[in-house]
Amino acid sequence: MRPIIAILRKELRVYFTTPVAYAAFTVFSIVTSFLFLRNLVGFQRQIDINTQLRPHLLQFMNFTDQVLSQLTFQAAVVLVFVVPFVTMRLVAEERRARTFELLMTNPVSPWHIAWGKYLATLVVLAVMLSLTLLYPLLVGLVAQVGGVAWETVGTGLLGLFLLGAAFTALGLFVSALTASPVVAAIITWCVLFLLWVVGWAATENPGATGDVLRALSAIEHIRSFASGALDSRDLVYYLSLCAFGLFMTQRALEAQRWR
Amino acid sequence: MIEVHSLVKRFGALAAVDGLTFSVARNEVLGFLGPNGAGKTTTMRILTGALPATEGRVRVAGLDVFDQPMQVKRKVGYLPEVPPLYEELDVLAYLGFVARLKSLPGRRVKSEVARVVETCGLREVRGRLIANLSKGFRQRVGLAQALLGDPEVLILDEPTIGLDPNQIAEIRGLIRRLAENHTVILSTHILPEVIQVCQRVLIVHRGRLVADDRLENLTSESRSLEQTFHDLTQE
Repeated sequence: MRPIIAILRKELRVYFTTPVAYAAFTVFSIVTSFLFLRNLVGFQRQIDINTQLRPHLLQFMNFTDQVLSQLTFQAAVVLVFVVPFVTMRLVAEERRARTFELLMTNPVSPWHIAWGKYLATLVVLAVMLSLTLLYPLLVGLVAQVGGVAWETVGTGLLGLFLLGAAFTALGLFVSALTASPVVAAIITWCVLFLLWVVGWAATENPGATGDVLRALSAIEHIRSFASGALDSRDLVYYLSLCAFGLFMTQRALEAQRWR
Repeated sequence: MIEVHSLVKRFGALAAVDGLTFSVARNEVLGFLGPNGAGKTTTMRILTGALPATEGRVRVAGLDVFDQPMQVKRKVGYLPEVPPLYEELDVLAYLGFVARLKSLPGRRVKSEVARVVETCGLREVRGRLIANLSKGFRQRVGLAQALLGDPEVLILDEPTIGLDPNQIAEIRGLIRRLAENHTVILSTHILPEVIQVCQRVLIVHRGRLVADDRLENLTSESRSLEQTFHDLTQE
């Protein structure tokens, strides 16, 4: 247990003394705030149109569903681009800088290394996602009627965290396969990109093929969370990706010893 | 303290270590010599438990390296040829990390870090980022890391490489002091260093042992250690 905490602390220190975490936070905030504003402006415009032409529809309009749920979905796509940048150096940098030797010659198992690095990245992910709380908070402050459905915000964030955790596990595994952080980032990005676009193919293929492709797509599984529901199938999907990534990382680290 | 029996390590078709047998007594300082590529680093990595051997047995402090690698790693301090340093950390944070990695209890982390900072003369740079340290200080931080937890066995791979003459003298003095109550394996290409520090010398060539003797038996009035080394490792 102690080595896990040692590695967790060291990784966090590296994340926050180098620009990596701050750069990720900045990119993520800029992109999500842009998307939030766009959703908000679109929502406003629709209210204006409905007020003039279809006032009976106004009662069905809902800020949480049309702005925040939408944002959860979009933030999931932003994670496809941000996570590889955060995970790229986790193991690859240790091998590049020859510090991997330190981990190999100390009483530390591959599981310790995998968990320590994984948990540290989950902390960075949690901080990054919590920045998006600012948007519903701001709206909650100025809203006069209705306001924010906080349960939906909560499930949305939980979904994003699970999706991010799954992406992180995959990124960690890829990082354990190479001694070059840049190569790790590119390969991770390709993997996550595939997990995203397989959902596009799903909408084009009706029937069983489409269902299978939809079940594979990481972004499709965020829908239930974004709309405020908890679906055990989606939970299982993300948790299995996490388990798969961690297990493969442990195997990859173990294999390092034999080279 | 260390027993190596018929050790073989193959990387594909290449036998980096080819049937090494030797032992090191408690508190002995062993000079581990050989040309580049002779299998020294491979042997040392196997002794630390980092690399599994293809064949043979290795026991450190009575423990089998293959059966109980975790216990062996607790008893061995290792300074690789390239000191494994995190440039993003300052010296104290780095040493604290390694101490925790060795599972030292919370209170001992602090006292051990303070002890090795003193031993290796790092007090003036303890708050500086490792990225900004000179080569001599980096080498000393690498050595300090190996001393954390006061392991019984120290394995040092070219600890004085790239240092200036003053720093070399300091590190040698430090190794001599450590040798009083530690078992040390010292790999180096600097033969005078061996004469100053070691009691026994092992010479390997192409993964095989070509000499294993007390220093005085390998040198004489008419033969320097250089000549012996040269003769034994020439083609």
